[in-house]
Formats: sequence, structure tokens, C-alpha cells
Amino acid sequence: MSAYDPTRREFLRNTGTVFGASWLTARWPVMLAAGQTAATAHAALASFKNLDTPDAADLLAIAAQIIPSDDTPGATEAGVIYFIDEAIGSFMSDQTEIVLEGLADLNEMLIEQHGVARFAELDNDRQIEVLTAIEDTPFFGTVRFMTLVGMFAMPSYGGNRDHIGWDLLGFDHKHGWQPPFGYYDAEAAKKESGRG
Amino acid sequence: MAEQPHFPTGKPVDFVIVGSGAAGGVLAKELSTNGFDVVVLEQGPYRKSPDFHHDEYSMIFENELIGGIGKHPQTFRPNNNEKAEINYAPPPAIYAHTVGGSSVHFSGNYWRMRPIDFNEHSRLGPISGTGFADWPITYEELEPYYTKVEWEIGVSGAPGPFDPPRSKPYPVPPMPLKSSGVLFEKGARKLGLHPQPAPVAILSEPYNGRAACIHCGFCILFGCEVGAKSSSLVSMIPVAEATGRCEIRPESTVYRLETDKTGRVSEVLYWDKDGNEQGQRAKAVILAANGAETPRLLFLSESVRHPDGLANDSGLVGKYLMWNMHSEVHAWFEEPLNEYKSIQCTRIVHDYYDNDESRGYYGGGGIDARPLLDSMPIFFSLSGMPPDAPSWGSEYKRLLGEYFTRNMAVLCSNTSLALESNNITLDPEVKDHWGRPALRTTYTDHPDDIAMSQFLQERSVEIMETAGAKKVWTLPVAPQTFGAHLLGTCRMGDDPETSVVDRYHRSHEVKNLFICDGSSFVTSGRGQPSMTIQSLAFRAADHITGFARRGEI
Repeated sequence: MSAYDPTRREFLRNTGTVFGASWLTARWPVMLAAGQTAATAHAALASFKNLDTPDAADLLAIAAQIIPSDDTPGATEAGVIYFIDEAIGSFMSDQTEIVLEGLADLNEMLIEQHGVARFAELDNDRQIEVLTAIEDTPFFGTVRFMTLVGMFAMPSYGGNRDHIGWDLLGFDHKHGWQPPFGYYDAEAAKKESGRG
Repeated sequence: MAEQPHFPTGKPVDFVIVGSGAAGGVLAKELSTNGFDVVVLEQGPYRKSPDFHHDEYSMIFENELIGGIGKHPQTFRPNNNEKAEINYAPPPAIYAHTVGGSSVHFSGNYWRMRPIDFNEHSRLGPISGTGFADWPITYEELEPYYTKVEWEIGVSGAPGPFDPPRSKPYPVPPMPLKSSGVLFEKGARKLGLHPQPAPVAILSEPYNGRAACIHCGFCILFGCEVGAKSSSLVSMIPVAEATGRCEIRPESTVYRLETDKTGRVSEVLYWDKDGNEQGQRAKAVILAANGAETPRLLFLSESVRHPDGLANDSGLVGKYLMWNMHSEVHAWFEEPLNEYKSIQCTRIVHDYYDNDESRGYYGGGGIDARPLLDSMPIFFSLSGMPPDAPSWGSEYKRLLGEYFTRNMAVLCSNTSLALESNNITLDPEVKDHWGRPALRTTYTDHPDDIAMSQFLQERSVEIMETAGAKKVWTLPVAPQTFGAHLLGTCRMGDDPETSVVDRYHRSHEVKNLFICDGSSFVTSGRGQPSMTIQSLAFRAADHITGFARRGEI
């Protein structure tokens, strides 16, 4: 079986070249600038606007493997699935097909090979095994892209709740800063003032 | 502010300037303060400082400032044997669609060029298969205008050991040193190099009534919310508007320059913000639309008299596109650098600026310390980790937290040789949303440019290793597929056979048509062109003022 049409747009990782070719690495998807970015309802049991519940459960499970919840919160707590739900209905709608058809293909494969109907029903080790096998596919690349945007974009897009994504990175979002900015310039300034 | 004029389109205004960016802003300010009536036509909207924000997704992934996705398709091909394909990620010619142009979203590195950038052909001799040539002007002629740029717009800096002669010190001291600058300086000094403060068009202190930088960290590809970045938007255009003689018309997309029976440009045709066709009559026109849009507009202005495009008897319009070659090095350190704070670049190394025949190829360049776009959370998570790191899962998550605050990059920038085969043309199939042929870029870096870039990358690896990095990694040096430095496409020269404009930026063929932007460059310099674009614009404005006053237009 080949669930994944190789002619579909691919997302590559870590293959960039020169300055800005790290932009290429990110492979900005060709998106319609819909600009509909309202934060969605954040209640834990909020219904989805665009995804049906079983699809949402599977995508949530994949997102939770990309950024797991361990000693710190992950994609689940950051509300990434609500971001994806919003995104595929608006500013990433051109990628809906890749995601939903890819998911359907994946689940079809799971019935044949693992005897379960949905990705979310697999245990943790099996989920990792399955995703490892498909990590170079456009489907996985697209879900990874959406997960990371949902994790690290401004919370107004519906994910990155309570700045969970930014806290994970150590990115402190303030309007402005004053020096020292980091360890090494602080140390250099200390030496400088010691000398003076 | 003086009341803004609304010049009637049917009455010839003294000057129409197409484009409001690095060059257009300077020309508008100079000509209006010199007493001329000026209309500036800018295709982008009139965003002002409070309109800018920190929304990475919109700015980096939806191309908010660089034309959006869908409306302005551009195509790219490496050579003319291949079919050009549309790319938005990013577009092949990157420039901002907004009042102030790309000076709004640049990171503001303001190196001067040096004497050799203007006369290197004479010094080294020809390079076979290239359009390598001298400029018709010298560094000495341009020096007063470099100084003028520094003082008029506000450039922070301090002289370095290899700087060309300057007639005045910098008006504002250098920006505070970041951790990337400290580490870069440490490594470079141990290797016997001469790191120096990066000159930047960003204010370290209040200047000319503008606020100092608040180090928010959203410089590159973003607009400045406090007006500390010395863009044309905040440094030049307000002065032009204060004269009451300069009308900025945003969302005005020029599609054709009309010539009259005598061969002079008589009218600039554009679509206004409602999509209506307009024509602004003018006594003289200055194209400052950037090194990609300027040649495109000349091609679109073809006529019976000018079948290959306006001002193109030389056949060189659109040719000799130069992007500057780039490569990068990434490094990971023990302690947090927090490169997401403050400006991109605080230290540079110019030890490799000159050509060195012992290297075996032509070229020279500069190296600087900066985070690149890995200071941005989404961008970093997608592509900021070393190639051997996992890209999802628990270990990936752990490393994101390790690396984000502790990484930095070194950017290498160098010469691009002028090649006829690197050029801007009209795409024969793809149209933009107005129905005009799309911009088509054809480009492959010259092997010498790539070799020089490889050399600088190797030196940068040594600098990072010597600085004590825990890990250093590189991305392969390879031909570029896009550029933000749009240079050389209407080159300046004394001979009408081998250049498009003369030494005063007047087109050789059309007496009242001037062209002044990155397209005027004859050589690429070593990598940071906006400073030179603006000094050329100040110089051009002086000469154009003289011509107009003497009735020589």
C-alpha cells in the first residue's frame, strides 16, 4: 500500500542550505491568507468547528507524540488540537485534504496491520512505531507543521495556551528588554565594570 | 505636520517617484525639501509604527509584509533551460510592500562599501564570462553621501580597523553588545582577527526626535513598533510630508510609463487602491521600485519606439542581477544567550573583505554574529536544531528547551559576480492578480561566489569552535534560490552600450527618466547594500536638483 502520494507537496526537515535557505527548510506552505485567526473556545470539552471528534482524537494523539506531555506540559495542554481545528477551516484550509485523507489512509493501514480502527486506540509504543514509519510523508510533515505552529504561534491563533509553548523554549514574550540579554554579555559587562 | 497636498493627476508634477523605500524615501525627502512638488507612488499600504506587531506566523509564514500569498506570484528558475516555477516560500525576490519599502523590514546592517568595490575591475582585470566592471564613480565621490546617510537617518556604530576613510564620526554610539557578539568577538580575537561593532540603522539613543531601540527582538522581516529602526518610513517620509510639497500615494500600483512623441516620459499609469486606472502626469520620473520591480516596469513600458522595454537600448535592463552570496554556521553554547532579545547583529569581522589571489578565486566578504530567524519560536522549532537531532518526540522536546536560548548563528555575506544569465524577466505564462506578467528570476551563483562563501563558512566554524561552542553545525553552501539584495539590473555607466543609466542615474535614452535603487549597482559589494543605495539616492538627489534648477531635464 502506499497511502501517500509522492507528488504531493513534501515537507523536509533539516535540509536547508544558506541563509534563508533555512526558510526553505521550513517550507512555508502555500497558504491562502485567510486571516481568520480568532481564538476558539478553550473549554476542555469544546466541540470542534471543522474536525469530527474521532479525527480530532487521532490528530490530538499525533500532536501529543510530536510534543509529548511529560514532566512539563505538551501539545495536549497547549490546546494544539483547537489550533488545528481552526486552521484547517480557515488559514490552512488548503492543507485540509492532506491531513484528512492522510489520516484516513493511515487508519486504513492500521486496520490491516494492527487490527485497530483508529490511531488514538494504539498504545504509546505502537503510536511511536507507526509514526516513525511514516515520518517522511507529507501527511506527517503537515501535521508536524500544524502542531508546531499551534504550539509556538501567538495564543490568539488558538494554541500555545498559557504560553505553554513559549515556556518550553524559554522564550519570554515582553514588549522590550534592556541589557544584559544573556549570560555572556552579562559576564562581559561585569568584567568591564570591574576593570573600570 | 503641514497639510498634505493632493496634486491633480492631469497637471504635470515636478517629480513622480515610483517606490518609497530606501532610495525613494531619500529622493522624496531631498527633492521636496529642495522646493519641488513630488508625488510618490507606492504599491503597498501606508502602515505606520503602531501597525507593526510580533506575530511571527503572519509575518514569516503568511508573508504579511512581502506581498502575502496568492496576489503577487513570482517565478524562479536556475537557468533558462528550465521552466520557472512559482514560489512563495519565500518569493525569489524578497521585498516589502509597504510605505518605506524594504527599509521597514530589513535588519539594518549599514556597512559602507570601500574604494575597491568601485574600481576592482581596474585593479584585478577582467573575469572571463562575467560583466565585472568598474563603477563610473569612486568611493571618494560617494563618501560625503555615506556620511549624510549616517547623520540624516541615524546610524549607530563605531569605526573599525578596516573601515574606509570617513569625514565625520557616527552620530550615535554602537548598540549594546549581545551574547552572540561577545562569543563571536572572543573566538575571532583568539584567532588574530579584528571584530568590530556592527554599524546598524537602528538607534542606540534617542535621535532627531525618535526613540531609541527597546530591544524587543523583532527586527528582521518585521516593522519597528517604536520607530527606532531608521527606515525611510520614520526617517525620511515624515520630513518630506512636513514640507507640504510631497504627496505619498499608497496602494498605487504603477503598471506603465507612457512616453510622448518626443520620447520623454509624460505620464505614470497606475491602479489606485480601488483598482481604478489613473495617470499622473509628470515633468520627470524617478524609478526607485527596487532591483526587481524597476526592470519589470521598464519591460512593461515597451512601445513601438522601445520594443525591448523602455530605456533598454543596451539590452541590459534586468541583467546582471546580484544577490550577494550567503552561508551560515550554527553553534550551541553552555549558558543562555537569549538571542531572541534585541537586534540581529552587534559584531562583524571584515578581515576577509579584500580579494586575495592566494585563495584561487575572486571574492571578498564579511562575517557577522546573529540569531537569524532562529530567534523566532515557530521557525526555530521547525528547522533550528542540528541535523542529528530528532524532529519530534520526547528527546526533541527536551532539546528544544536546551537549544532555543543557547544557540547563535554566524552569517557570511560576500560578493556576487555580475552575470548576464542572472536576471529579471517577465514570466511568459504566470500573471499577477492585476493580470500583468509575473516577475521571473533566473539565477545561479557563480562558482567563485560559492567558493568564497565556503571559505567564509570554514572561518566561521573556527571562530565558533574557538569561542568554546559545545556543538557547531553548518548548512551546505549551495546556489541560492531567492534574495533580498536586488542589485545590478539597470547598471550605471558612462557608455550607453554597456549600461542603462549614466553616473547621475539618468537613463541614457530618456532624458527625464531617472533610475535610482539597487538596480544602479555595478558590483555587489560584500553584502549589505542598503547603506550604498541610500548614499546613491542622496547623491542623485543633489544632481537631479541641479539639473531641474538649470532647466536641464
